[in-house]
Amino acid sequence: MKRAITAAAVFTTAVLLTSGCTPGSSSDTGSSDSKTFEFWSFTGIDQKADVDVYKKAHPDVEIKLTEVGSTSETAQALTTALAGGKVPDLVLIQGDDLPKFMQSPENFVDLATLGADQKKADYLDWVMKQSVTEDGKIIGLPTDVGGMAMVYRTDLFKAAGLPTDREQVSKLWPTWDAFLEVGKKYVQATGKPFLDNTPTSVFFQAVNQGSERYYDADRKRSYDKNPQVKAAFDLALKVHAAGVTARQTSWSTGWTAGMGKGDFAAVSAPSWMLHAIRTNAPGTAGKWDVATIPGGSGNWGGSYLAIPKRAKNPKAAWDYIAEMQSPAGQLAHFLMQGSLPTTPSVYSDPQLLAKTDPFFSDAPIGKIYTDSVLGIKPFYIGPDDATIGIELLNTLTSVEQGKVAPDKAWNTALTNVKNALRG
Amino acid sequence: MLSPGTIEKTAAQPARQRRIHLGVRERLAPYAYIAPFFLLFFIFGLFPLLFTFYVALFDWDPIGEHHFVGLANFSELVHDPRFWGAMRNTFSIWALSTIPQLLLALVLAHVLNHVRLRAATLFRMSVLVPYVTSVAATTIVFAQLFDRDYGMLNWFLGLLGFQHIDFTASVWGSHIMIATMIAWRWTGYNTLLYLASLQAVPRELYEAAAVDGANGWKQFRHITIPSLRPIIVFTVVTSTIGGLQVFTEPLLANPVGGLTCGAARQCQTLTLFLYEQGFGRFHFGYGAAVGVALFVIVVIVAAINYVLVTRIRSERP
Repeated sequence: MKRAITAAAVFTTAVLLTSGCTPGSSSDTGSSDSKTFEFWSFTGIDQKADVDVYKKAHPDVEIKLTEVGSTSETAQALTTALAGGKVPDLVLIQGDDLPKFMQSPENFVDLATLGADQKKADYLDWVMKQSVTEDGKIIGLPTDVGGMAMVYRTDLFKAAGLPTDREQVSKLWPTWDAFLEVGKKYVQATGKPFLDNTPTSVFFQAVNQGSERYYDADRKRSYDKNPQVKAAFDLALKVHAAGVTARQTSWSTGWTAGMGKGDFAAVSAPSWMLHAIRTNAPGTAGKWDVATIPGGSGNWGGSYLAIPKRAKNPKAAWDYIAEMQSPAGQLAHFLMQGSLPTTPSVYSDPQLLAKTDPFFSDAPIGKIYTDSVLGIKPFYIGPDDATIGIELLNTLTSVEQGKVAPDKAWNTALTNVKNALRG
Repeated sequence: MLSPGTIEKTAAQPARQRRIHLGVRERLAPYAYIAPFFLLFFIFGLFPLLFTFYVALFDWDPIGEHHFVGLANFSELVHDPRFWGAMRNTFSIWALSTIPQLLLALVLAHVLNHVRLRAATLFRMSVLVPYVTSVAATTIVFAQLFDRDYGMLNWFLGLLGFQHIDFTASVWGSHIMIATMIAWRWTGYNTLLYLASLQAVPRELYEAAAVDGANGWKQFRHITIPSLRPIIVFTVVTSTIGGLQVFTEPLLANPVGGLTCGAARQCQTLTLFLYEQGFGRFHFGYGAAVGVALFVIVVIVAAINYVLVTRIRSERP
């Protein structure tokens, strides 16, 4: 009982902390030094590199960078801070978390008032659209997008009698159906699984390639009616039925181990996943290459920089955004760290086109990934997008684990989404 | 001339005053001593508890609006299969971890209490090592042991000619996996509690029993268990309450699916469900309602425990 009280106490203390002050009440202990600002980022995206570059160019500026944790942990910390705690001056928000914050735009500085409306045109319009409210307030500026590609093991492809050259491999799978045929051939030749899994490597890619996802153009939920969602779901079931995957759920221990051991030959990899492959399977350096994603284009991921309303030093934070997220700034960050720029003007820059990655057989990742985001059709991402997406994904994982019958999967998925949208 | 009565009165008056004065201070002093605890308890215990009840009546967005919805969160909860699933998982994991754990602790304590045990302190201390190991580290190691394709447990099953078992994907498998982690962590702790009270049992009892020809099992059954009865009740109560609030193990053991402990929520406990709703999805009102439900469940279980304890006490020889 005492523990129940403690648990309740912890919960409510958190609620209290987050409800103590109302949003918008500004702290009067503002920093006297207008060159200092606080910056919250998440891990794995290496904002420190950018901060160091900026500090070098502006030695008088002091930036307190905190890597809060994973993307969702950072969003949680930001929520708590916005509701009543000490807010940072600048915060990085992952694309999937952004719609939640877009519902309460009063918590953020409208960047248009600081000059963002003049810079809007620098960015991919469908990326920019996601951080602009219906009445035109700019909540965040995009820092990167997650273009799509398929990475594959050249040594394993060779052993299976498949081509290994990235141009030829890309030509093997203009569509997902062609991709499945390649998978069947691979399994026939080697007796080993071809792809890591279907929920992430097929469904999450295909569903992001449509012209509409879980919401329609009127910003109403349409995941249960949109034929594109159903088609992506059915495609995943079809690939599963063909038995060409290792059924290793992305990010699980088995997935990491299998990747290092070469127990599957292909993984769908948005640009930010290259880093995960490098760190999870360091022993496979040079054995991978990058081909285009079946279907040609698509985006999954990306982040935004925003300034909370109660920030002490919004001006210094804005100066940082303006300089580091300019087309030149994003290009420099890409060359250093690999996150894909959101500014199409640099997509033809010779430095970007010349960028290769030795871990992936010197594939020109700049060109491959920017090509994949050029043909994209914009769609509205709503506040429940993350919830809907994860329930559909989880149901497909259950199918892979043999816990849900494939013919019942779609109905199960819809029930799961409906349950998740309550409360 | 003053009457004796007056003298008595005048002399007594200041004395009585002083006594009354002291009496008030004496009566207040204990309250003053315990005040800090209760002050903190009201601020961090009682008030938040009541506030949770209050939040549970709202549709509460931490950075947006709060709408009063009455008992709607609770009627949602009653019809939410995820809540009942979490309830099933919580009780199943509790049963799978607590019962074997306490039985094993009993046996271990009996063995560690043996007269002829060499290096007794070394063994007694080493049972506590899992308890002082970080939960996160234990969880990660166990999750790898139970892995479907590359786990040591399945490698062993494979050697014996069995099919691999996908522990994390199935309900029973994931429950067994998490129960093992909990038992691993708490068996040593409970062993030490049992051992401590076993050492208060007079050696003569065992010696006399041995002289009368009682073997190890008979000694265990007729001396060890009866003398441990009060501490056994205590450990059952504490592990029950702890078991209803298991959080870290299901959070880290099966990261597939985010905060759901698996794609089908196969091992999501009530506290993890509360966390998912409150801090994963920011439905504070609904999360608080789960908290209230958990509170009620713990009160009911505590009441059942209380009844059992009084009965066992009255049955004591």
